[in-house]
Order: sequence, then structure tokens, then C-alpha cells
Amino acid sequence: MARATATALDSEQLPGKPLAPVKRLPPSAQRAVPRVVARAAQGSAWQSRALNRLLPWLLPAALLGLWYLGSERGWLSDQVLPPPAFVYQTLVDLASTGDLWLNASASMQRVLVGFLIGSGLGVTLGLVMGLSKTVEDYLLPSFNALVQIPVLGWMPFALLLFGIGEPLKYVLIAHAALVPVTLCTLQAFHQVPKRLLEVGQAYGFSRRQIVTDIVLPSAVAPIFTGLRLGFTKAWLSLVVVELLASSEGLGYLIAYGRQLFQLDLVMAAVVVVGAVGLLIDRSFEYVERRLNKGRAVIPGRLV
Amino acid sequence: MAATQPLTAVQGNGLRLENISKYFSSTSTDTQLQVLDNVQLDIAPGEFITIVGASGCGKSTLLRLILGLDEAFDGQILLDEKPIKGTGLERGIVFQDHRLFPWLTVEQNVAVGLKNAPLSPAQKRETVREHIHLVGLQDFVESYPHQISGGMAQRVAIARGLVNRPSVLLLDEPFGALDALTRTRLQRELQHIWQQEKITMVHVTHDVDEAVYLGDRVVVMQPHPGRIRRIVDIDLPRPRNRSDARFIALRDDVLSDFAEVS
Amino acid sequence: MSTLTSSAAPSPRRYRGWVLPVVAVAVWWLATHQGWSDSGLLVSPQKVAATAWHQFTSEAFWRAISSSLARNLSGFFIGTTLGLVLGCLLGFSRLFERVVGPSFNTFKQISLFAWIPLISVWFGLGDVAKVVFLSLAALVPVVVNTCDGLRNVPPAFLEVAKVYGFTRWQTIRGVMLPAALPSIFTGVYLALVYSWLATIGAEYLLVSGSGIGNTLIDGSEHFMMDLVLFGMVVIGLVGWGLNLLARNLERRMQRLYGITPR
Repeated sequence: MARATATALDSEQLPGKPLAPVKRLPPSAQRAVPRVVARAAQGSAWQSRALNRLLPWLLPAALLGLWYLGSERGWLSDQVLPPPAFVYQTLVDLASTGDLWLNASASMQRVLVGFLIGSGLGVTLGLVMGLSKTVEDYLLPSFNALVQIPVLGWMPFALLLFGIGEPLKYVLIAHAALVPVTLCTLQAFHQVPKRLLEVGQAYGFSRRQIVTDIVLPSAVAPIFTGLRLGFTKAWLSLVVVELLASSEGLGYLIAYGRQLFQLDLVMAAVVVVGAVGLLIDRSFEYVERRLNKGRAVIPGRLV
Repeated sequence: MAATQPLTAVQGNGLRLENISKYFSSTSTDTQLQVLDNVQLDIAPGEFITIVGASGCGKSTLLRLILGLDEAFDGQILLDEKPIKGTGLERGIVFQDHRLFPWLTVEQNVAVGLKNAPLSPAQKRETVREHIHLVGLQDFVESYPHQISGGMAQRVAIARGLVNRPSVLLLDEPFGALDALTRTRLQRELQHIWQQEKITMVHVTHDVDEAVYLGDRVVVMQPHPGRIRRIVDIDLPRPRNRSDARFIALRDDVLSDFAEVS
Repeated sequence: MSTLTSSAAPSPRRYRGWVLPVVAVAVWWLATHQGWSDSGLLVSPQKVAATAWHQFTSEAFWRAISSSLARNLSGFFIGTTLGLVLGCLLGFSRLFERVVGPSFNTFKQISLFAWIPLISVWFGLGDVAKVVFLSLAALVPVVVNTCDGLRNVPPAFLEVAKVYGFTRWQTIRGVMLPAALPSIFTGVYLALVYSWLATIGAEYLLVSGSGIGNTLIDGSEHFMMDLVLFGMVVIGLVGWGLNLLARNLERRMQRLYGITPR
């Protein structure tokens, strides 16, 4: 009973020793705190919001202006930096002649196939290791060792084994996706909150029930994060592989343009690569956010 | 008030709140929420005031206004007959979450309070050590916050609040996050410290028992909007006994206010 | 190997990890010994070991690996320094973040390697171009994590700084930077990892000069599987070493902050 304990404690000896007689500090200088405006005037709020929306465009506009000026005035030769109009024109040409679609779809197909293979394998591997400690003991150390070699390190090896055709690309892209997906899936299984598992045990859940009803639902979100990361890596590897060893695709366009010193083509292709990557990443983010609703988001971003 | 400590050792630094009203405006809708309504309070120098009320009665907001973290309110807050402006070292605070910096040791955390105080480094070191002794943590000066318990961390926070010898110490539910046993012990420590230091203390809590145990006067607040319902004099000698009949009567009296307000 | 499989008690957990690699090497050796394939690509473990020995005692190899590492570290340091500066600017100044932030976010979406051809036009194919590219690779994660860390300093700590009268500079140095340090460190850690990855890629794409990546490509062009395997192992080892170093530093820092290490 609280009252009883309170009385008992009251008679305890207190820690701490008494202080010297109190000497007050001189009053400190008055310090103003930025005023919190509780009632904002309507007019100025609208104006500042409009200005706020313009700010992000300042830098790109300035850069674009400098670029335009630079090529107009001939500060830079066309070979080093083509005028913005050229790049735009090239983009339009690519789109209208169907070249853009041809190459973009080749890239998309590669990355999708590679990603699906890699993430499928990755989820399976992570699942198997996550569910069985035995399997994890046998496989994980070797897996971790192999992970130390980056995708690009595997490339010459894969080149020797598969030659320069499509399988090379699929294998490398799949590998790029497999690593983060496996690791994130495994972590998803390790991260199941212990307290939830204990609830399952307390209610006599069978092992299978624990897996399907507790482990899998809580693992979905981290697995998805792994998928998103895997796709980013896959896209990155796609670009490198196409730069090095292909005859069509967005990376190929970049390499081709570079060889012919057609920088407008290079830049146009870079823009497309960026745009596609952005689009897909945003879609992943959207789904991830839907999945994470009502869940404490773990802070810390991985690029 | 005969049983409370003599006030002669303290300078004239009474705190006065005059007609304090505060509104929060919502940015999404165009409505305004009144959080405090005409709060009027006179606190004598060296007095221990406890403010008790349910959630939403604005007691924490009131503390932030006195502290100076928030300057948008109607009315005046006077310390020693002078209106306060922003934050100042003469008003200290102990937060509910101890807010110790995890990258500093106990000693360094207490020293944070003296960061901008006009003292020499030697004087600062001396004062810091004194205050760590005051809360009984002299064996933990080199420890980091994650190495000590919640109760100990809160004691460090109290030491930090007192280290620059403020005229007023504000305490915002300082023991709310602690277990009952630690809470009881810290209440006694706080009372002991108050009797040593003779600092005016404004202590906000939702625990009626704590409010009656610690305060010279208990200010009961009611919510929507926050206003003072009444002020109860606690005319009991210290150290107080929770089993004392008069204590129980006073506590039940204050509690009865909450039985009515839903 | 037989001792692991024939023991009655379950094999000690620690050794389980070795089973797979040992079996794999054994199968590999068997394959070459029995001549299961007559492809020139199937090189025996002995041959790889011999190549490794040959490389480790050759001057060319050490020159290659040290140029790779030198470029890696230069790019890493330049990129990290610039990244810290940019990240701090983005973190401290709301205006700067509003103007530069969105452009930076768009820029970082573009796959890193897509920039190489442009870089090769502007900077050539040699060391300068590679270091520029590596700096870019290191810069991005540092900026992102530094900015995040600074923007996510708990407001509770900032209030403590305000209460004790910290100047803006004192707040930055005493509260914001220490609170953001774990995040900043994550960024630096990622920069180390990414810049090693980028080093190899840069050597493939910007082919002038020497480096371990060049050695690998040579090996593949001349169908020397043993050289390729050797190169892969070296790359993996260096990456692992860098990783270990970074993780060690990270653990040391986490202990200071009381974060339980992963």
C-alpha cells in the first residue's frame, strides 16, 4: 500500500550535505526569445508562402541561365557543354524517332528481370535463414564474405563465365538486388519484437502460427525497405553494365554519345536515367509509406 | 503560515502573475483555443507552490510562460516587481524528461547550467560539485546519463536547475516518469533541498498526494479553459506525515475537486 | 571435415560457418583434378594460390593496389569534407535548405555512374577524373545524413539551450553538432563504403592509369581466371578491412552515447 511505504520511507536518513549560505547570482541580462506569433496576419502569410514556393526554383533557374549564357557567348565550346536548346532538341528527337522508347524499354526490361530474379532469390534466402537458425549458421558467414566483394568486382568473373550477352546483365543486376534484399529480410526476421513473440508463446501458439501470425506481418515492412534498396542498387548496376558492355539501353546511349562526343545525347540520356530512377523510387516510397502507416518509423536514412 | 520556514533569509523576489490569458490558434481551421483564462497568482518569496490539475488545464503552459520560452500571452508576469522578458538564469526549470545531454557526463551536464554565468572556471567547478553533493550523486560525477537510473538522472536535472541559484525554480511534473518508490524518496529530497536553499518553487503535478505533501499552498486548476479553481492553504509542519489525519483531510478536500470535474 | 560430421554431439556453432566454404573448395579441387570440364576457365585452387603468391611478391601489384587506395582515400576525404560543409549549411540555414535542397535531392537521384562519361569529357580519363568521381560518390551520403542529423535534433535539447542562454554559436557547437554526430557518422561510414565501390567502377570506365580494377579487367580480357579470382578476393578483403575500421569507430562512438551496438 502506498501509504504504508511512504510512512516507512519518511523516517529514512536523507543523503546530501547542507550548503553554504545562499549567495545569489546577479540578475542576468534580459534575453528576448523570438516571439511566437499566435495570430498571424492573413496577408503576409499568403505572401511568404508564395515566396516559399519560388525559392527551390532559384538555383536551377540561375544555373540554366548561366548555361544558356555560356553557350551563347561561346565561353565553352559546344563539345564541352552543348547549349541547352540542343539537349532539349535531342530529347525531343529521341522521343519522336522512337529511339528513346527502344532504349528505355531495353533497360527497363533488364532491370525488372534482374531485380525480380535477385529479389526473389534474396527473399527466399533471407526467409530460410531467418526461420532456421541452423541454416543461418551454415550459410550466413559465407554469404557475408561474398558480400564484401562489390557487384563490380564480380563483373570480370561474370564476363568470363557468361560472355557479353543478356545473361551477363541479368546475373549482375540480380546479384546487386540480392544482397540488400537478403540482408534486410534476414534482419526483418531478427527484428520481430521479442515481446510480441512472448505473447504468442503465452497463448500457446504453435510454431507455424507464430510464423504466420506474428513474424511474417511484422517482417513485411522491413522486407519492403530491403526491396526498395535492392532496386536502387539494381538500377545503379544497370547503368554501369550498360556503360561497359551493351549495345542498347540507356547506359548504352550515354556511352555511345560519349564516344561520338555528342554531349547533348549524353546529357539527354542522363536526364532520362535520372527521371526513370526517380519515378520508380517514388513509387516504392509511396508503397512503403502505406505499409508503414501506424508504425513507428525507424529513423536513419540510407542513400 | 507559522509552521513554514522564516522568510528573512530570502531577498524580495516574489513572483506575480497578473491576468494571464493565452490562446493557441489552429493553422488549419481558423479557430482559437483558449488555454489559459485570467490566471492570477501571487507567490511570496521562498514559498513552495504546487499546481495540480488534470490534463489540458494549462499548467505546463503556464510554466513555460513563466520560464519565458513562450512570450505570446496577455497579461503580465512580474518577478521582483519587474516584468520578465524571455528566459533568464534567475528562473530555473526541471523538465519531466530529464533532458540531460547524452554526450556529457553528470558533472558536465550540471555545468551546462553555468555555461553563461559570470563566474570564474574555478568557481563554476566548485558550485557544480556542491550541487552534485546536494543531490547525493558525488560517486557518479564521471558517469554518463545512460549509465544511471531514471531517478538519478532526474536528480542530476534538479542539480542543474539549481546550480545557478535561481530565484525561482520551476518543476514540470519532475517525478512523473519515475516509479512510486523513487518518487517518494525524491519528494522528500526536494523538500529537504527547498528548506536548505530557500528558493521559491513552483511545482506542477497531477498527483494530488504529492501536491499536498510538498506545497505551502496548492493551486487547483481546471481545464477548458485553464483557470484557477481555488487555492488551498496547507498549514502543516514539515516534515509532513502522510498518515496524519489533517494531511488526509486536506488531500481528500483537494481530491474532491476532481471528482466533480469530469 | 570428417570430425565435423561424425561427432555424436551437435557440432559447435562456431564451426558451422566453415562447412560450406571447405566443401566448396574441396569440390572445386576435385573438379579440376578429375578434369570434369575442359574449359580453359576451370583453374585449379593451386593455380590461384600460385598466382596469388606471384602477385603478392610482384611490385606491379602493390603499385596497383596502393594507387587504388590512394585515389579512394583522396576522393573519400575531399568528398566527406565538402559533404560536411554542404550538409551543415543545409542543416543550419532554413533558407539555404529551401534554395539548394530540392535541387540537390533531384541531383542525387541520378545513378552515380551515369556521370562518368560527362566527367571523362571534362576531366579526361586519368587520376583527376577518378578522384572527382569518387568525391562525388562520398559527398552524397555525407550531405544527406549530416543534414538529417542536424534537422532532427530533439527540440527538447534546443529548449534546454534556450533556457540556459546559449548563444547561437554555443547551441550549434554544444547541442546540435553532438546530437547529430551519430547521423553524421553513418554518413561518413556510407561514404567510405560507396567510395570503395566507386573506385573499382571508375577504374573500369576511366581506363588510363593503374589500379586493382585495371588488373581485374586485364585478367578478364586475357581470359586469366586465376588472376580474376585473385583480384576479387583482394577487393573483397580491402572492402572488408575498411568496413571493419569504420564499424570499430562507430561502436566506440555509440558507447559514448549509450546506444546499444547493433
